[in-house]
Formats: sequence, C-alpha cells, structure tokens
Amino acid sequence: MKTTCFIRVPSFCTPISPIIRKHLQKSFNKTGHYNQNHISTLNSAQTSISTSPSSPAPSTSHKPQTPVFLRPLIYSSTFPDLQSFTSWAKTLVSSVGSTFVQLDNGSDSTLLLRELRWLLEDSIDDPSLIPHLGICQNGGITSNTGSSSTEVVRLRVSLGQMYQLWKQRIQERRPFQYIVGCEHWRDLVLSVEEGVLIPRPETEKIVDLVGNVVGGNEMLREGLWADLGTGSGALAIGIARILGKNGRVIATDLSPTAISVAKFNVERYGLQDIIEIKQGSWFSPLVHVEGELDGLVCNPPYIPSEDIGSLQAEVAKHEPRLALDGGVEGMDNLLHLCERTAAMLKPGGFFAFETNGEKQCRLLANHMENEMTGSFRDVNIVSDFADIPRFLTGFCD
Amino acid sequence: MPNLLARRSYLRSLFLPPKPSIDVFLIHTQSELRNTNLCSSNSRRFSISNSFVYVPFYLGSKMLPHTPKSSEFVSNHYCSAHLHHQHCQFWSLSGKAPILGHGCGVSSIIIYFQAPNSLENVKISSEYNRNRVISNGVMLFCSHAAVEPSTSDGLTVERIIGNQWTILDESASDWKSHASAIAQSVHLIKKRLQWKKLMVRLEQLSAELNKPNIWDDPVHAGKISREHGSLMGKVKEVKAFEQDLCEHIDMIKLAREEGDAELESETMKALLRMRRDSKEKELDALLSGDHDSCSCFIEVQAGAGGTESMDWAAMVMQMYKAWAQRHGYGVTVVDEMPGEIAGIKRATIKLDGEYAFGYAKAEAGVHRLVRISPFDSGKRRHTSFAAVAVIPILEDVSSRIQISESDLRIERFRAGGAGGQHVNTTESAVRITHIPTGITATCQNERSQHQNKASAMAVLQSRVDQLEMARQAQMNAQHTQSLTEISWGNQIRTYVLHPYQMVKDLRTNYEVSDPDSVLEGDLDGFILCFLSAALDKDEDAP
Repeated sequence: MKTTCFIRVPSFCTPISPIIRKHLQKSFNKTGHYNQNHISTLNSAQTSISTSPSSPAPSTSHKPQTPVFLRPLIYSSTFPDLQSFTSWAKTLVSSVGSTFVQLDNGSDSTLLLRELRWLLEDSIDDPSLIPHLGICQNGGITSNTGSSSTEVVRLRVSLGQMYQLWKQRIQERRPFQYIVGCEHWRDLVLSVEEGVLIPRPETEKIVDLVGNVVGGNEMLREGLWADLGTGSGALAIGIARILGKNGRVIATDLSPTAISVAKFNVERYGLQDIIEIKQGSWFSPLVHVEGELDGLVCNPPYIPSEDIGSLQAEVAKHEPRLALDGGVEGMDNLLHLCERTAAMLKPGGFFAFETNGEKQCRLLANHMENEMTGSFRDVNIVSDFADIPRFLTGFCD
Repeated sequence: MPNLLARRSYLRSLFLPPKPSIDVFLIHTQSELRNTNLCSSNSRRFSISNSFVYVPFYLGSKMLPHTPKSSEFVSNHYCSAHLHHQHCQFWSLSGKAPILGHGCGVSSIIIYFQAPNSLENVKISSEYNRNRVISNGVMLFCSHAAVEPSTSDGLTVERIIGNQWTILDESASDWKSHASAIAQSVHLIKKRLQWKKLMVRLEQLSAELNKPNIWDDPVHAGKISREHGSLMGKVKEVKAFEQDLCEHIDMIKLAREEGDAELESETMKALLRMRRDSKEKELDALLSGDHDSCSCFIEVQAGAGGTESMDWAAMVMQMYKAWAQRHGYGVTVVDEMPGEIAGIKRATIKLDGEYAFGYAKAEAGVHRLVRISPFDSGKRRHTSFAAVAVIPILEDVSSRIQISESDLRIERFRAGGAGGQHVNTTESAVRITHIPTGITATCQNERSQHQNKASAMAVLQSRVDQLEMARQAQMNAQHTQSLTEISWGNQIRTYVLHPYQMVKDLRTNYEVSDPDSVLEGDLDGFILCFLSAALDKDEDAP
C-alpha cells in the first residue's frame, strides 16, 4: 500500500502508537462487525486521537464510504478461488476488447487488466500473490511458485463483492475509482465515491503551479488560500502540504457528499487544522474573508451542457453532473469566478483556474484584459501535458 | 659483522635485502604499539634463519637515521620475546633509546624480516617507558617470496588448473574437485588483480624503495612504501591462499598414505571451507566495477518480426524477472508496452538490490530465439530477436548529471480527445524527453500521473547518466560491454528450441542443453562465465 500519512499533530493531540493501532485493528477484526462509522472513526484515530475539534461535524448527514484498501481484513478466500475470479474477470475484459474505445473513447482491455490488478492489490492482504494469479497478460512462462492451494488469502472485500464490483466495472462501466473507492492523485490516495468528481491527472498541475509561486513568495506561502468546488478535497490537500506552517486553506463545495468525503480525506492526511471545509456555492461561504485571500484555485464545471450526453459512459452515467456541467458555453462558472476574484484576492494574490481548453482560456484572458482592465496582471495560459491550453493563472493587481 | 652489514645497507640502500627472499612488515603506526599483534595472515609454523630486522623510526615526518645501537635493544624491547626462534637479529636504525623514550608520535615502523616464508605470532610490544606514545596501526605486511607455493611433489595452482580435474558439486568429497575449484577461483582473482601488471608495479616500487636517498623526501617515501605495502598485502593474501591449498593437498595425501581417516575428513572439510571462501572472494573480484554494486534497470525490446518477436521479448523479460527473484532482488515493472496479440513491444523493469547491475550487465545485447512459432499456423521454424539493455542507477547523487527542467519536454502518453473533466481514465502515463540528447523515458504503471512522472524521470536520469558514462568511457578508451550501444548485429546468445535444444553464449561459448531452465531464470552460469571472460579481456588489454 502506498499510503503515506503526513501527520501534523496539534499539541493537544497524542499520536496513536503503532502498537495501539495494531491492537485496535486486531480487536476490531475480532468482533467481525463491519460498520462504516466505526471504520471512519478508526481511520481518523490513526492520524490523531479523535478529540480533535474538527472531527466530522454532526450536521453532515452523509457518511463517507471507506475505500477498499483501508477496510479491515475480515474476509478470506482460497488461492484457487481467487484464481478462478481472476480468470473470470479476464474473460470479461477480453470480451470488451476495444469496444469501449470505439464507443466513446473508453478504456481498452490493456487498461482494464491493469485496473483488475489494482483491484486485487487493494483487496488482498498479501500483494505478492498477485503475480501468481495469472493476471499478467504477457505470460511467457507462468510460474506457479509459492502458494499451495489450501492457503487462505485474507481479503478486505468478500469474493462475492469482488465479482459484483468487477461486473459493475465492465457491464455498467462504473468508474474504477468508485469501485475501489479511491483515486491515486499526485502522491496522495484520496477517497472518492459517487457524487464526488474523481480528480483528474491534469489537475495535479495546479499544485505544481502553486508550488512555483509560493517558492519565492513568503506572503503567498504563509497566506490564506481557497479551493472552490473542492470535491474530494484534492487541490486543498495538495496545496496545504506545500504551504508554510502558517498557511491556511478554505475548501468549499455545494454538495454535502463532497463535503463529507473532503473531510474524510483531510483528516486522513491530518490536515484538519490547516484546511477548513465549508459548504456553500462558490464565494458565499467566503464573505467573511473578502479581500483577504492570498490565493485562489478552482476546477469548476466547464463542459458545455450539450457535450454532457456524448461523454464517456464512466463520466456521463456515474460522475456528478453538478461537477461537470458548465452551462451552454461551459463558461458560466468560470466567468462568475473571474468577476469575483479581483474582489476576493489581496493585491498580489495568485489565482489558477482549470478550463476546458484553448477556447475557454482565450475567452477568459480576453475578458480579464478588456472587461476588467487593471484588475489583474501577468495573466498566463498554461498547457497540460497533452499540450492542451488548460489553465489560466495570474495575479491580482 | 652485523654492524657492518647494517651500515653498508644503510648507506647503499636502507632496504636492500641481504638475501633475495624476504618478508616485509610495514607498520604504519598511529598510537601505542602495546601488544600489537603482527600475525602473519596464515597461521603456520615457520623458520627463521639469519633474519634481519631494520627498524627505522622517525618522528613526525622526519626520519631519524641512526646506526643500530645494539641488537639487544630492539630484540629486548620489541620483538625477541615473542619470536620463537633463536637466530633472529634485530636492528634499530633509530637506535637511540632516549629519543624513543621521549618520542612524541612515532609514526612508522618498518621491519624487515628475512624469512623463507611468513611469520607466526610476531608480536611487537613496548614494555618500557610509559611516557612514550607510539601510535598504533595499520599493519601492512607481505611476503616478497619469489617462490611459487607448491606441494611436496611440486604441484602448483597453475598445474592444478592445467590438470583440468573435473569440478564436481560441493557435496562430493573429492579433493581434486575442491582443489580444482579453488585453483580456478585463485586464477580468477589473480586475473581481476591484473596479476602480471601488479607484479611489474611491485618491482618498480621495490626498486624505488631501494634507492639510497628515498627517505630524503619522507612524504614521497611514505607514499611509495604505503603503495608497496598495499600491493604486497594483496600478493601475500593470494600467495597465502595458494600455500594453504598446497598444504592441504599435502596433508590429504599424507592422511591417505597413513590411513588416517580422521585427518582426511578434517582436511576435506578444510578444503571445502576454502572452496566456499574462495568462491566468495572470486565474486568480490568479479564484481568490482565502478557501478557493479548499484541497482539497475533492465530494458527489453522486441526485434522485427511481429507477434513472434514480441512473445520472445516477453519470455526474455520473464526470464529476468525469475532470475531477479531467485537472487532476492526487488522487481518493479516501470514501463510495459504490450503487443497487440501477445508479448511486449518494449518493457522496462527495475531491479533493486546489491550488485544487481554487476550481474545483469552481462546480459546486455541481442538475444536470438529459434523455434517453431506457436503463432504460425504453418508450424514453420522462426528466428526472432530481442534486445536487452542494462542501466545502472547511480547511488552517488553527486556523480549524476544535473538535468535542467528547461531541457525537458513532458507529454501525456497516448493523449487524445478533450481531456480534463471529459475523460475518466486510469491511464496517466507520461513521456519525458531530454531535449539536448533526445533520450526519452516513459512510465505507465503507477496509479497517478505524478508518480508516473517521478518514475519516468528516474529512468531518464539513469539513461542520461549512462550516456555520459559511455562518453567518458570512450574518452578513456575503456569501453565496456555493458555500455555498448545495442545494435541488432550485437548478438550475444542464441536459444534454440527446435530442432534441437540448446542455449549458447556467443561471447564465451558457454552452452547448456536445457533451454527451459535458462528461461526460468537459471542464468548464473552464463553471467559468471561472461564476467570472468571479461576479466581475461581486461588482462590482455595493454
């Protein structure tokens, strides 16, 4: 597991010792109850004892799901049963071939096989078994060393669930990230679930852009930042980890699901004292800090409404429209952001927005230059790694 | 008479040995010599006849040349009590007891023993005047003996190799097999040491040390004598090993003649220990290249020939994975480009572990497969190729090339469409291009783009480093095999599965008739054979 917890423990919190954690886990496993509420408390206890003031507010009714890789090992199976699951799952994959690609530019069988391997990695206690399950597409010589057939393999989801999950992946085209309940993003592993946009690889670059500006600028490094429409909390967490010790981030979202998932992620990385999560539309939760922000980032919904229907099935059928649909031109939210950014930021404050591509970037840049003359300086269009002009950055004048 | 000899020696050459065969002990001292053991590296009985000891002391960097005051002086205070033999004569060139008494930092003692071989239990201890601080030290001692170690019936290491006794498994209790294995190892170690060159250098150093005015420049003299000592140390170690081997052979023959089963089995055990020991030493000698201890990347690329070639590339990659697992190396797939139907077009794996590069570098080159292709419905025989490159991952960060951010072009791999919120994909691979060299690297097996980028960057860094190493190696005219750019003409090994079964290394002519075991990762024979052949090449080089 590649999870790394970066813990910033407030002085009144005692970090939980690994021994106690192990013990907790053990006694928890013994009871055999699988209760999501328990697990989320346990997980927050892993980062700091949950007397923390910013533990999940009771007002949030939604309970975030626990990603597969964080669930306790309360299920088990045998090696041959896992092998049959794998071969069944592979058959399903090979039946797909390139149909998804042709249909809507979805995943091909190579990608799906990799996802299958990752599902196994997240579910199985001992990932060293995976190479022996015959998942490797390019067998060459398949060695079957190490595992006797009677060996019990401990699992985080039942074998039945695994069948169900993989069926959903292929037949319903449920996004892989919802299947395993997490997305690896930058060096983070973020919990995601239906109702929360899965953070995209492109968006990683916003953190790099912020990293570049805070590097030589103490005001920004130790300042107050905001991430609007935070979703899973990805940008807020990414930025909080590169700010100085006095840096703070406010993350907002309209969706209660997103709020609860973002809280879960923030607490998992022990950042609850740095990131404040507020529910509300765009700037409305930020009225009290108007003109005080040092930085503002946002990945708003920017897909033109008419394009939504033709999106890849994983996106169109499963991801929240609220996080995707940007109105007729896709510019509704971006323009709204533009209008208010000048008033929200301090002079010298930095902003970075993600857009749908070159057209939106140019429109926005022109808008800032012509309609809001004198409000911004150094407005810059930055491309993503696919060379699509993706981001608009600049400073408040 | 001794006085005369000493003075003459001192005038002509401080270290001129009175007789050609001589043991040299050089102690570079740094603190008190009390109870310093000067043991010879092997513990055997020895005999000393007419031995001479010169003990030139010098304070600080300045040597104090004095004629020996008396033989008793040194023998009383330094050595005699612990030398078992009667006929030793010792000389101190510093001579003056008071100086030694006050001595604040005697930095070096050089003792010459004349002895047919090495010494046992020579102790140098200072049992007088506590005020004196003789600093202790690094002891370098070795034999200058020109005599080749041999058994009573004249068997030497060279001859043992010449006999070409079959080397059986370790478990077989056959002294000839053990002896042959040990002799092979010794031979290899000598090659690694570049024995002939080493001997020449040793001659030069001895000649230098024999110059009468050598100690006029103590810094230079110290340097020379240290190098001399260090080389002698190596020579001595090998000689001692040879000597041990010869003695054990003598012993086992004796035991057989006398029907002493216990002695025979003891000696056999000792031989086996020596065999294992020499194997270890041999490996040390084989893997002493600059980057041998590094982890590495192994890259396999399919040659022309479509699916059959790609399947072969996958088999080769699988062979390395299996080999790496046998050796306990960590294996990570960094990049893999699968073929359309089967196999791989290209793949990169990372091997983490000590000496991964040192071994794997032997595999760089083109591997050729001959078999009846399972992908050919006509069941015809096909020949396909896969190229293997091995790149060390430099441990020393300072020796790496600094790659400037502005020299890089980073692209989304297999990008298409609008991207961003439009697409949900778990594919986040990037390709990084180092613009000045045109070197590229890709990673697609991590679960985030950030991590893919980091892994690809690590590959790129190593490739750029390797290019630089190759450039430097060419400049130094020490172009090694592993760094040779892979061209399809550079075939190193052929795997024939049909019509007969054979794997043959074209560089060493090492071959086995069981391709399956090789493809399952049993590569050590090939690797070791190549590595030792590479040593031969080094030795032949001017």
